[in-house]
Amino acid sequence: MPAGVGLPVVGGDQHDRSGRHVSGSVSRVANKTREDRFREQVLPELEVLYRVARRLARTLPEAEDLVQDALLRAYRGFDGFDGRYVRAWLLTILRNTHYNRIRKRQPDFLDDEIAQRLPARGAAGRQDGTSEQAFHDEFDPRVRDALASLSASHRAVIALVDLDELSYQEAAEVIGVPVGTVMSRLHRARRKVRVQLEQTGFLEVDR
Amino acid sequence: MSFRRRLPLPLPPEPDCHEVGAVLQAYLDGELGPQDAELVTAHLAHCERCQIESVTVERVVEAIRQQRPDLDAEPIDRLTGFVDRLMRDGPKDGPKAS
Repeated sequence: MPAGVGLPVVGGDQHDRSGRHVSGSVSRVANKTREDRFREQVLPELEVLYRVARRLARTLPEAEDLVQDALLRAYRGFDGFDGRYVRAWLLTILRNTHYNRIRKRQPDFLDDEIAQRLPARGAAGRQDGTSEQAFHDEFDPRVRDALASLSASHRAVIALVDLDELSYQEAAEVIGVPVGTVMSRLHRARRKVRVQLEQTGFLEVDR
Repeated sequence: MSFRRRLPLPLPPEPDCHEVGAVLQAYLDGELGPQDAELVTAHLAHCERCQIESVTVERVVEAIRQQRPDLDAEPIDRLTGFVDRLMRDGPKDGPKAS
């Protein structure tokens, strides 16, 4: 069941850029259990959670485990959730869960971690050798190379906004930077991709 | 923590090309408020230069989005099953709430 179905929305109702419904303030409905409400809010977000987790984790099984861990935390904290911006709430929990895990490992930079899982020129995008890189190889190498040439921070924001279709605010929550930083990085990253695509002839220049 | 959007300042009633250019990315990404989006739409309707810029940015983003990897259905199915079990059986010992 999609998020919000059967739940009267009090205010702050929004749609994201894909036209998907983003829950606003949701009133407590007496005949819905806590479990029903959690399920209705969380299930539509599983795909985006898993997409982002794949950027954070080193392997696909680790990504799945990370999402499960985050879901457990979300469930335990659900009573304190105000019902607004469920995706941003879940992404923040996912990011914090990831940070708690890597804190014991090594002081990684999140941008680098996210960028590592992007297609890179001549290198496997993932350590577990799964099919993601092979999939990318089907596409125009000029675009792949343009993305691979970006800095880690630029590739991270492209991955989250353009590939995973997060909003600026959601991407900012995941990376842990202000939304203005996401916007400026995105602008510069796309500009660099554009210049490369124009230079390689992928994009004709209309002037 | 606030999840409210903090986006560019509101546009003047008749934005020029420079002002439209500053918010064009947010406009194309659907991140601009409805009033500002309306102003940009109106500007694009009569400004060929900004139209070309807009189409070019769209083409760059479209090229990037073609790199989007498909997701296997199995992990999502397993995660759905995980939520179902969590709702049915409750959480076992695990992490505390964030």
